[in-house]
Amino acid sequence: MTTATATLENRNRRTMIMAFAGALAMLGLGFAAVPLYDLFCRVTGFGGTTQVATQAEADAAAALASGEAYSIRFDANTARGMPWTFKPVQVTDVVTVGERDMAFYTARNNSAVPVTGTATFNVEPEAAGRYFSKIQCFCFTEQTLQPGEEIRMPVLYYVDPAALDDPDMQGVEQITLSYTFHRAPEQPETQ
Amino acid sequence: MIFGDIARKKLSFLALLAAALSFVIVPQSSFAQDATTSVDESVAESQSVADGEVVMETDSSAFEHFGPEMIKGQPTSYEDDAWASMNFQEQYTDNGNYALGMHDKLLMPIITVISLFVLGLLLWVVAKYRKGANPVPSKTSHNTLIEVIWTVVPVIILVVIAVPSITLIARQYAAPPAEAITIKANGYQWYWGYEYVDNGGFEVISNMLDESASLDAGEPYQLAVDNRMVVPVGVPIRLQTFGADVIHSFGIPSLWFKLDAVPGRINEKILTINEEGIYYGQCMELCGARHGYMPIAIEARSMEDYNAWVQAQGGMTLEQIADEAAAAAAAEAAEEDAESAEDAAEAGDTEGEAEAEAAEADAAEADAA
Amino acid sequence: MATTAEGFDTHNGDHAHHDADHKPGFFARWFMSTNHKDIGTLYLIFAIVAGIVGGAISGGMRLELAEPGVQWLGTFVGWLGGDPLSFDQQGHMWNVLITAHGLIMVFFMVMPAMIGGFGNWFVPLMIGAPDMAFPRMNNISFWLTVAGFCSLLFSMFVPGGIGMGAGVGWTVYAPLSTSGSVGPATDFAIFSLHLAGAGSILGATNFITTIFNMRAPGMTLHKMPLFVWSVLVTAFLLLLALPVLAAAITMLLTDRNFGTTFFDAAGGGDPILYQHLFWFFGHPEVYIMILPGFGMISQIVATFSRKPVFGYLGMAYAMVAIGVVGFIVWAHHMYTVGLSVNTKMYFTAATMVIAVPTGIKIFSWIATMWGGSITFKSPMVWAMGFIFLFTVGGVTGVVLANGGVDDNLHDTYYVVAHFHYVLSMGAVFSMFAGWYYWFPKMSGRWHSEFLAHLHFWVFFIGVNVVFFPMHFLGVQGMARRYPDFTAAFAHWNWVASVGYVIVLASVAIFFINMIYAFVAGRRAEDNYWGEGATTLEWSLSSPPPYHQFETLPVIEDHHSADDHISSKSATA
Repeated sequence: MTTATATLENRNRRTMIMAFAGALAMLGLGFAAVPLYDLFCRVTGFGGTTQVATQAEADAAAALASGEAYSIRFDANTARGMPWTFKPVQVTDVVTVGERDMAFYTARNNSAVPVTGTATFNVEPEAAGRYFSKIQCFCFTEQTLQPGEEIRMPVLYYVDPAALDDPDMQGVEQITLSYTFHRAPEQPETQ
Repeated sequence: MIFGDIARKKLSFLALLAAALSFVIVPQSSFAQDATTSVDESVAESQSVADGEVVMETDSSAFEHFGPEMIKGQPTSYEDDAWASMNFQEQYTDNGNYALGMHDKLLMPIITVISLFVLGLLLWVVAKYRKGANPVPSKTSHNTLIEVIWTVVPVIILVVIAVPSITLIARQYAAPPAEAITIKANGYQWYWGYEYVDNGGFEVISNMLDESASLDAGEPYQLAVDNRMVVPVGVPIRLQTFGADVIHSFGIPSLWFKLDAVPGRINEKILTINEEGIYYGQCMELCGARHGYMPIAIEARSMEDYNAWVQAQGGMTLEQIADEAAAAAAAEAAEEDAESAEDAAEAGDTEGEAEAEAAEADAAEADAA
Repeated sequence: MATTAEGFDTHNGDHAHHDADHKPGFFARWFMSTNHKDIGTLYLIFAIVAGIVGGAISGGMRLELAEPGVQWLGTFVGWLGGDPLSFDQQGHMWNVLITAHGLIMVFFMVMPAMIGGFGNWFVPLMIGAPDMAFPRMNNISFWLTVAGFCSLLFSMFVPGGIGMGAGVGWTVYAPLSTSGSVGPATDFAIFSLHLAGAGSILGATNFITTIFNMRAPGMTLHKMPLFVWSVLVTAFLLLLALPVLAAAITMLLTDRNFGTTFFDAAGGGDPILYQHLFWFFGHPEVYIMILPGFGMISQIVATFSRKPVFGYLGMAYAMVAIGVVGFIVWAHHMYTVGLSVNTKMYFTAATMVIAVPTGIKIFSWIATMWGGSITFKSPMVWAMGFIFLFTVGGVTGVVLANGGVDDNLHDTYYVVAHFHYVLSMGAVFSMFAGWYYWFPKMSGRWHSEFLAHLHFWVFFIGVNVVFFPMHFLGVQGMARRYPDFTAAFAHWNWVASVGYVIVLASVAIFFINMIYAFVAGRRAEDNYWGEGATTLEWSLSSPPPYHQFETLPVIEDHHSADDHISSKSATA
């Protein structure tokens, strides 16, 4: 009887440890979801996440340019508490698939103190995310504007010719590239 | 409903009590959206001042808003039409009609029949297999045939539902054509801003009307707003949503349209309204204390009316923008010719290209201003 | 097998051993309890208390929604020490009410009652175990849940931004719950979920260990009563889903307090990710709330039909299937956040799949009754009410599963009606069915069957009057979480509020019945439901001895799953 009890206790402890291990694994997965989701979005373009391309990749894409074109819309937003005026220079543009194009945004700091901003971005329709590649973008780094300072910020991008073969991109005529400027988290409040 | 009426009478003391208390505790003024106050308005104002693009109505004679007789998308009260108050609002988009048809002609019959079937079986069992009627229970605990049937039949039903369901989703996700007018609905705590990016980029701030103002206007309180979102009728609109602070949701029941406004990104969906009229909606995602008080009112107008309204707001019609762009392009071409003649010898290839880009952008900006 | 363990030969004649009923003193027994039955009782009492609080809050909500205009919120604000005249504080108060109602009912009423209460009481009894595997951990689970409840209640009395309390909804969506609400209230609300979640994870571990290792000799997994199966599946769902919630809300806390930006777009985070994480937990959570109910209904239907459960294996694996599929359908709660077309189509299809195992269960219950010799005691009446109302709630789920249709119904009262049909009627009906089924076993005293039936009919009418009109409001476009509504919605809101009064009356009947039972209820015999009740708890006295099965019962193997029903004589 005592040995039977002992084995039961051992078995119970083993089951408990396995259960806790399962729970811990899920806890870890919960936290790991943050980088994994980020990675997933970057790779698949999920949620309209755009791609980052090198010059070489851009050259390769340009070689495949077929003459078809997309209309690109440039969208700009500012989050709450961001004292900037942020606008695209051109609302829309037409770009040949595969060829790189440059677009400009302007930002002006309307407050009396220097403000650092970071930009988030996405494209609509979401399916275009994996084909919309940026070679250079102001959104890759933080931007700091002095009071009253206004800057022009370029985006160098192209649309991957593979988009033309994707059934999800059928019927898509215009792709919207959207940016939102946020106050970078660590800095003193303006007011 | 008789039941409702009886209940109403029986419990009218509750209502009286509530009304009395409301007078004591809650002065009417506190309902009014004038409490939208300093913070919100100053934000809105500073924005429009900064944009420098909200111009007072210069030519108001050209445009007049619809009156309450043009209200089409709104809930129906039980007293007005009991049946309508229990069903979907009438739909004014093709996708809405498709979805409504799917619900009314496919889903409702199926779920009603299933519910009644289960109820019928239960009643049958009650009548037939109560102890009095069937003293000796059977021992059946398996019947492969029947188990296969009640697995396969639901699967077939679901497949039947899935076909129009997937079709509906595909239709809702149809990409808007390049020339579709783009309007942004920006959600703020707690009002909407409608940004007409294709018409010069002005933003219309829309707050809820207070109770007396909406009654004066002949519109339903909590749905009526001061500045409606005016949109062209019969043409596809690229509707984009953005949340400036927390998540809001842009929902119009009579257009079968709902799209969250999320901070840090835009969402986009196509919307084509079939008839002129006023369509009410509300914020559909919990966004804080005044979540219930940021309604949406869409006013769908003919393209001429829409253009007139846009100009009254200080914006530009698509035609005007196209004309100016053409003029600018011509000017730029001339300029560029002159420049390239001068610099051709010295300027490197890439540099010239970039410069041209910049010049083009500059010109566009100059036009926009 | 299963619900009809008629064939279990239980050699436990010595359960009334003189030592078996030795109980510790009051404080040690109820505050340091390690006895699964006492802890189960504590959970049930706790769930009733939480249910009263959550129900009172919904009463305040129905009162406010009885008529257009804001009449009561100012009063409630005053109670919490705020400014009753402030329009914003009134709106915030509403959000506090919906948040508290949701969290209390989910985490502190349904889950403790189903898993902590009935699970603790009857899982060991049904599998022939002397107690849970880890009795002291069981105690910790309970008190963590209580601490969580206190933390949540406390949150209502500390600043939460605009007013007192956390007004973020039970889903606690970022950024409303992060940058959108300052003040400690939201932190306390989030922390209460940590505590309740930790308690539930410990409880789930305990159940899994108990069920895997402590079944009486001869009770194979495929002979376990379906209620035990349901708790096993539920425990796995808890174990796998709750840590994800814990991770998500921990990141909310650090976003709120320590400057991280997991869900803050300004720092490169994504608020939508929070929704993915929440619903990855949240969807299994709804099955956590309903699966033990499925198990209880299976026991009850079999008992009162005097038949074994139809398609036992199908029933058990349907629950497993529901549990598994429950993990891959979460984004149907997020149809309008801007999903891509393929994502939405996938989640539409996956969600509809759940209707198949659910249908199997509904039809199997009816097939169990079919050919039976049914007595309509109160648990059976509640069970039949469950089957019908759960079906109604289930079919509206099929409507909502269609992503395209949901574009209109999302976040409207149609959704409110749907989940109250499956929870407020599904889960709650099964809990009352289980309560009346086992109350004499647990207390040793009979409730009044008449009052139990009356309770059923008044409750049945009441909840339908409350929630059926919400379908109408939903299709008409009335949004969720609104303290006020335009005049056109007045009628059906009034009807729903009247329904609340009916429900209140039925709850009064319930409490009168309980008082009656403890004051004047006659003693309950061991197996008071008769020959249909065949699981092991019926082989014990009512109430069971403080320590049962000191000599383990042996489930002999000479009956197949199908034929043991007639082998009553084999029972020792």
